Amino acid sequence: MMGIYIFIFFAYLFGPLIIMSITAFNSAEFPSIAPWECFSFRWFNEGKIAYDGQHLAGLLSDWRLHDGIISSLIIGAGVVTLSVPIGMAAAIVLTQVRSQLRDIYYSISIMPVLFPGVIIGISTVVLWDRIAGLGGEGFISDIGRNGIFLTILAQTCFISTYCFLIFVARLQRFDQTQEEAALDLGASQTQVFFKILVPYLSPAIASAAVIAFLFSFENYNTTVFSILSDQTLTTVIASKVRLGISPALSALALTIIALTIIAAVTYEVLRRRAEKRYAESQERFVKEKAADNRINKKYKAGFKIPKGITAILLIVVFATYGATQIVKNDLYGQSCIDAADKEKKSKFLEQLQTLESNELTDEELSGGSLGGNQDYGDIFGDPSLFQDFGGFD
Amino acid sequence: MSADVELSDVSVTFGSFYAAKNVNVKVNGGEFFSFLGPSGCGKTTLLRAISGFQEPSEGKVLIDNKDMSGIGPNKRPTALIFQNLALFPLMSVSENIAFSLEVRGVSKEERKKRADELLELIALEGQGEKKVHQLSGGQKQRVAIARALAVEPKVLLLDEPLSALDLKLRQRMRTELREIQKRVNITFIYITHDQGEALTMSDRIAVMNEGELEQIGKCDEVYNNPLTPFVATFVGENNPLYGKVTGIKGDKAQIETADGQYLAMMNETKKLNIGDESIAFVRPESLFIPRDDDSFDNKIDVNIESFEFEGNLKNFYARLQSGAKIKFSVPNAIDTSSISSGSSIALGFDSSKSVILPKASLAID
Ligand SMILES: Nc1ncnc2c1ncn2[C@@H]1O[C@H](COP(=O)(O)OP(=O)(O)OP(=O)(O)O)[C@@H](O)[C@H]1O
Ligand SMILES: [Mg+2]
Repeated sequence: MMGIYIFIFFAYLFGPLIIMSITAFNSAEFPSIAPWECFSFRWFNEGKIAYDGQHLAGLLSDWRLHDGIISSLIIGAGVVTLSVPIGMAAAIVLTQVRSQLRDIYYSISIMPVLFPGVIIGISTVVLWDRIAGLGGEGFISDIGRNGIFLTILAQTCFISTYCFLIFVARLQRFDQTQEEAALDLGASQTQVFFKILVPYLSPAIASAAVIAFLFSFENYNTTVFSILSDQTLTTVIASKVRLGISPALSALALTIIALTIIAAVTYEVLRRRAEKRYAESQERFVKEKAADNRINKKYKAGFKIPKGITAILLIVVFATYGATQIVKNDLYGQSCIDAADKEKKSKFLEQLQTLESNELTDEELSGGSLGGNQDYGDIFGDPSLFQDFGGFD
Repeated sequence: MSADVELSDVSVTFGSFYAAKNVNVKVNGGEFFSFLGPSGCGKTTLLRAISGFQEPSEGKVLIDNKDMSGIGPNKRPTALIFQNLALFPLMSVSENIAFSLEVRGVSKEERKKRADELLELIALEGQGEKKVHQLSGGQKQRVAIARALAVEPKVLLLDEPLSALDLKLRQRMRTELREIQKRVNITFIYITHDQGEALTMSDRIAVMNEGELEQIGKCDEVYNNPLTPFVATFVGENNPLYGKVTGIKGDKAQIETADGQYLAMMNETKKLNIGDESIAFVRPESLFIPRDDDSFDNKIDVNIESFEFEGNLKNFYARLQSGAKIKFSVPNAIDTSSISSGSSIALGFDSSKSVILPKASLAID
């Protein structure tokens, strides 16, 4: 019973993502599964030239997407370099302020995450527009109207707060006597910072950097205002969606999901390996201490069935089913695509012809014998219409 | 290389609260000096004043006759061993020990050499690569000492470094500490609330209560001639006998209590007059069951209540006629089969083994 609920929950979470990922491999112009056209990688590559001559860009050929990704990466890097030090400094200050002030300081510090992102974006633009206006033609006016610069500043406003929270959590467990011990041993304040505090905070620095980058990369509502005439990945996607969705976006989504999963798995593997090494060193230490070999038994690692076996089996079954269907019905490869295109083109031409044969004359368009606009005639030209109107007194 | 440490009228206040009040003490170079006092009496505060983490609100700290005010902890010739040790968990044992050399820019080979020397001193040769969490409690202790000694301080300050250890290890570390101190021959200022620890290790001790110094002196001096009722009851055990002074004979005074009259030694600095409210103290080991040939100048009748076997000693808990409790100890070698609960016996004690002091509050126990 429990299993069903869990399945429903995960289907709810991941269902849309899975469907979307599959549509990336359909050669049709609109992301769909049910009328399956052909299996292809075209949306990861060049896209297609439609039968009406319109270029539907794929992932590789979409220069607007590329520009967007590049500015998103630049902004992400900028936000990380600003937010992490700001968050860290703010968190360190929190440990130094007196207890009465601490609550007030903390509340003020976390306020930016409570503001709507839209407001942060707009206010940044408004402020820098004023500043740029003051500076005349020089450097200030250039950066004040530079979308990337403004977006870095605007995003840093609230992302540094997330970093702050990460550092606060880590610093709460910091033993301050370590700082004092280092000072007592002759270290200067700078040395204490770099040799004691920074190594202690390094896990927090790493997670703050990752989180800051992810928040920046996916941010839309602040960015859409502060980016001005430039484009980031999110604003490019948003403007594309406004024109109708394309399987190229599915392809992009799948790429991002894949990168995320690879990163997460790599991280997990590295972490486990480090943990194992740590456990081994601990064990060696214990063995060393207990000279007798009572605990020196060898444990043989038996083969264990992975916990996610049902999920893996399910995926394998569906994938094989899909693949056999595609192969059996010859729904892949260039020939399939060509055939589909040809069919569509002929259908399009057919429609064009019906349209042409149904073409209306100018007379028909302007109302003609059917009445048309004449029905509503020249109401303003009709003198009898306002005869009861007394006029404005 | 050791240095004198002098506290001259040092007071430390937190708001209107005096954590230390008018402390005057001079610790000589090369001495093992202990501050002894109950929890919260201001010992750590004093140590922090010496090491520079806490500026005294009044008075001066002098090290080698140099006024230390305005000199930070990293510029003072002292090293502090923290109550919780404060080893650096992310560094190896050697890195911990050589930290003070690293921040002074000493070369890597030099650091390694010095760390190895110190590891030898603390009997942890070849364990420098271990992480701190892989050490046992006593080993951590010794690493903290080595780390402090690496600075070559003139004064080593130790804040209850043994309090977290179990009894056996604590006893072993006491002797080890003492040996290390003799070997490196620098001033040790040691803090503890454990009077046994203070007495066994120190050359001199200072007893503190509520931020003030009650008595400074050699261990046996403090034990045998306490200056205040607090010291009398905090350092070792003592039976108080409350009463009024009824007579003075030379350096002894006669005290009249609800249970009779006793003679006890007066302290030269705490002279009493007839009629003064006072307390006579007699230690459990100074109370004897008299044999025929013994002659004690004080006799005390008690009613035995209970008995406790401590190993080397047998402790008896008894009551006087007035209801006051009294404890006495008998070496295990002496036969006490005739004494049972409920029996009444007479005990004797020598006036020279008893002190009489003006009435004041005792150490709460
Ligand atoms: N930073 C501080 N602010 C306010 N009061 C303090 C501060 N540090 C210490 N105190 C107070 O000063 C008194 C003495 O503290 P201290 O730490 O010196 O005690 P201690 O003798 O070392 O006790 P323990 O044996 O428990 O370590 C205590 O009552 C404590 O509450
Ligand atoms: Mg303390």
